[in-house]
Amino acid sequence: MSAREDAVDAAVMPPDLLAGRELALEARGLSLDYSERRALDAVNLQVPRRRVTALIGPSGCGKSSLLRCFNRLNDEIAGCRVSGEVRVLGLDAYAETTALPELRRRVGMVFQKPNPFPQSVADNVAFGLRLAGLRSRLELDDRVEAALRAAGLWEEVRDRLDDSALRLSAGQQQRLVIARALAVEPEVLLMDEPASMLDPISTLRFEELVVALRERYSVLLVTHNMQQAARVADYTAFLQAGRLLEFDATDRIFTNPRLRGTEDYITGRMREDRG
Amino acid sequence: MAGLCLLALAAVLAVLVQQAVRAFAPVPVAELRWRSDAGEQQMLAAVVFEDAHELVVRGSEWQRRGAEYRRIARADLLQLDWPADARSLRLHDGREIHRRGLALPQAPDGSRPAAADVAEDVASNRLSRGETAGLMLRRAWDFVAGTAQGGGVFPALVGTVVLVLLMSVLVMPLGVLLALWLHEYAGSGRSARVLRAAMANLAGVPAVIYGLFGLVLFVNGVGGGVDALMHSATPRWGGGGLLWSALTLALLTLPVVVIATEEGLARVPAALRHGALALGATRAEMLWRVVLPVARPALLTAFILAVARAAGEVAPLMLVGAVRYAPALPLDGEFPYLHLSRQFMHLGQSVYDLALAGGDAPRDMAQAHAAALLLLVVVVGLNAAAIVVRNRLRERARELAV
Ligand SMILES: Nc1ncnc2c1ncn2[C@@H]1O[C@H](COP(=O)(O)OP(=O)(O)OP(=O)(O)O)[C@@H](O)[C@H]1O
Ligand SMILES: [Mg+2]
Repeated sequence: MSAREDAVDAAVMPPDLLAGRELALEARGLSLDYSERRALDAVNLQVPRRRVTALIGPSGCGKSSLLRCFNRLNDEIAGCRVSGEVRVLGLDAYAETTALPELRRRVGMVFQKPNPFPQSVADNVAFGLRLAGLRSRLELDDRVEAALRAAGLWEEVRDRLDDSALRLSAGQQQRLVIARALAVEPEVLLMDEPASMLDPISTLRFEELVVALRERYSVLLVTHNMQQAARVADYTAFLQAGRLLEFDATDRIFTNPRLRGTEDYITGRMREDRG
Repeated sequence: MAGLCLLALAAVLAVLVQQAVRAFAPVPVAELRWRSDAGEQQMLAAVVFEDAHELVVRGSEWQRRGAEYRRIARADLLQLDWPADARSLRLHDGREIHRRGLALPQAPDGSRPAAADVAEDVASNRLSRGETAGLMLRRAWDFVAGTAQGGGVFPALVGTVVLVLLMSVLVMPLGVLLALWLHEYAGSGRSARVLRAAMANLAGVPAVIYGLFGLVLFVNGVGGGVDALMHSATPRWGGGGLLWSALTLALLTLPVVVIATEEGLARVPAALRHGALALGATRAEMLWRVVLPVARPALLTAFILAVARAAGEVAPLMLVGAVRYAPALPLDGEFPYLHLSRQFMHLGQSVYDLALAGGDAPRDMAQAHAAALLLLVVVVGLNAAAIVVRNRLRERARELAV
């Protein structure tokens, strides 16, 4: 890859936007194909550390596919091929020597569809902790409670910790899988529309959580809700048809985007959200 | 569909029961006089069969079991009485002897059976319903729980159950591991394709070929090798035995287990797998903690199919360890309790032996049906146990899925 392509395109992102910032995630010239169909095309994206970055874009533009590159979950999808460079916390994610369990412990993921295991609520949250070798009953209980509190679910499930997680409502399940990801204290969190099924109050609580997470975590958040992106994200990336069209500070992208396409999408979504 | 299956099962059971009952029912005894080529004859005999044209009777079996059958045309019959004091003795060796009154009868050669030889002594023509029922129950129990010498099939029953359980213990881990490898690790590589094709084809190979294979590989190959290594004078492992039979059956049922398990694995949603991996699980951890628990009902289905297939197979076993008569049980109170190198008896083999026995055709045929009924009960019983466990798991899974 030539040096010119390697540099982040100035048309996509103001050159000095992230100057001096440490990067949590970085994609360079990242392309992704499913069998014969291209889902990502030469994406250059930088996600700064200890900040919240929103990823917006129309349905089917490749947001989930992009997220799955950062914890290499695309490896699990038959026929999916990735090319280009992906760096996670400074390390080459696709290097031969990368230990996937280690990588995925450091990069947590909340899926677009809640996917609790058919186990009890407590076992779901403790799943990652047990994988990490935590055995002490007391400590497990503490960490489970802390994670459930952080996800705003504790009060609702405190006396049904041993019930099946599949009996929770969809919105509760969504918060459960957030708690499950938080419990292992990853350094980076990939969140794929984690608030899509939440009521307004829970959504508000969730947004407060994300803002609080900024202190310790780097967050890449996919959302279709423009107000949400505006409220919680420091930076916003706009993806369309597999290409990263614009990346900027959130207030700039929402008030003064540089591209027509970005503006059209955002105003369109805003209008839809209001109507 | 399920109703139809149950109906078919009920029909088979009904036929078996109806036939098997005849093995235990008491037979009335008649005093007969008839004309034959050799002149007028007279005899005290059990009337095994009678219709409008003829009688089939069985006189006292002084010589051996099954001798003394006679067919008498009604036209030749001069006299037919059912004396109230007629009694039938059953000796421990299975022979039946008829007499009138209580004294022990005398054989044509002058000898008398000793009182210790008598297993059963009944007033054949004067049995009340209750007595008949009690008699039949006792005979059925003697058949099921009795030793081979006494005409019972207990050793065969034990042999069958032990064999099937040992087979499951061997085939389940192997089959599940193979299925895991095929479905989770091998992908669509060449070796996986070959193995899959092999499984599909092996499922259709006639059972007796497995028997030959087991004979060559396990008995002669491995067993013979072990014997040679241990310099044993008499073949211990180099002959047919319980372990070789269980292994042969395990090979026979392996395709069934692999295919059923793989189907179960394929039904586990990808979202659950991804969820586990995303939390840092290795592939093995994901399989052990998420995939296998979800696929547990499928594993039990595999087990049920394997038992059903294995319990009914006899042909291959005759080559690798099942025998008509084994002096000792494969499972007993003597260390090491489970005797893997012993030959054993099997209900399927008992069915063959009884059905093909030359001696007392009607009585043995009825017993063959009784043995078949018992085999069916064993298979259905093992399956029912597995199905109960599976339904419990399904219920739990459903509860979890609410
Ligand atoms: N497993 C897959 N196999 C083949 N094609 C896929 C697969 N997953 C996604 N795609 C295709 O790749 C493209 C991008 O999909 P992706 O799920 O990343 O979009 P998205 O931006 O997350 O959409 P949404 O907002 O609806 O979740 C789509 O055209 C989709 O059809
Ligand atoms: Mg998506």
